Amino acid sequence: MKDIARPALILLIITAVAAALLGVVESVTEEPIRIATENTQNAAMKASLPEAETFEKVEADFTGTTITTVSVGKDASGNEVGYVITANPSGFGGAVPTTVGIGSDGVITGIKVTTPSETPGLGALATSPEFQDQFKGMSGELKVNKDGGQVQAITSATITSRAVTSGVNEALTWFEANGGAK
Amino acid sequence: MGNPLKIIKNGIIDENPTFIQVIGMCPTLAVTSSAINGVGMGVSTAAVLICANVAIALLRKIIPDKVRIPAFVVVIASFVTIVQFLLQAYMPALNDALGLYIPLIVVNCLILGRAEAYASKNSAIDSFFDGIGMGLGFTIALGVLGLVREFIGSGTAFGMQILPEAFPQTLIFIMAPGAFLTLGFLMALLNHFKNKKSA
Repeated sequence: MKDIARPALILLIITAVAAALLGVVESVTEEPIRIATENTQNAAMKASLPEAETFEKVEADFTGTTITTVSVGKDASGNEVGYVITANPSGFGGAVPTTVGIGSDGVITGIKVTTPSETPGLGALATSPEFQDQFKGMSGELKVNKDGGQVQAITSATITSRAVTSGVNEALTWFEANGGAK
Repeated sequence: MGNPLKIIKNGIIDENPTFIQVIGMCPTLAVTSSAINGVGMGVSTAAVLICANVAIALLRKIIPDKVRIPAFVVVIASFVTIVQFLLQAYMPALNDALGLYIPLIVVNCLILGRAEAYASKNSAIDSFFDGIGMGLGFTIALGVLGLVREFIGSGTAFGMQILPEAFPQTLIFIMAPGAFLTLGFLMALLNHFKNKKSA
């Protein structure tokens, strides 16, 4: 009995101390983490829709799409200047979160791609300015050049390029269906 | 107490975790597609390894033999989680670069291996130096692997263009098979020098 109780008790104490420590660290870092995440998101949104100063989340139903968040961008005096829409299309290795800024006229103001699971040196090049900047000024339905469209796909990374393009299309479609160009 | 320099050298050369002990292979093969990723993973693993080694050496007389593995795992996982919280809160840029790899450290058998083989039998000070040595050995190995793969695969070193862009890039080296090939060639090369020395 003693052989079982003693180790069990000591293990319990170790896990309890570890849990208490984690609890303390969690509560101390909770607020800084929330601020840091918000800053990163705001920076990505600002990069896609430079005209906007503040962003407000829009609550809506995104079933049937890979869209995760939609925010409306407002300038310093509170006028609506466009939308920032984040979609999560599937690339070669996994999701390719793509944030799209769309001005009130329905034209893309910028996109920001992150590639957590694409191949370095190939699909991961979708984060490069050369690839992202070409979307500026585009509107309507987009396709990569291999499919007869206007988007210059990354060499040897057509799947990732198509994923980004489909994410952008989803954002444009949502924009059209929910107000459209003004 | 052992000689600190000797313990550190042991970790870097004589018992290098990657090339000699061949442990912690999953993160080694998975993240070394570029030099900076390799070094980043190495440094974060080293930080956790040093902390875990010291904590386990201090607790070694208290932890009963029967439950030592669960106790080690709790200590290691707690350190990893604390490191992750701190990075997220105070160093978001570094967290973006390393975020993916941090949880991987928990399952790195290098840390559990050192806890079992060294820290549970030696003093906290010796274990601290063992952590530094093994951590450096791991960081150097991952950095070299990443550098070789990045150089052959994308013609860059630490993100800087070295080979002219027109030079053909051997893409397979930054993909999964390239990790195995590079590791194999590097180990063969090291063994060659070792054999030469002892012959």
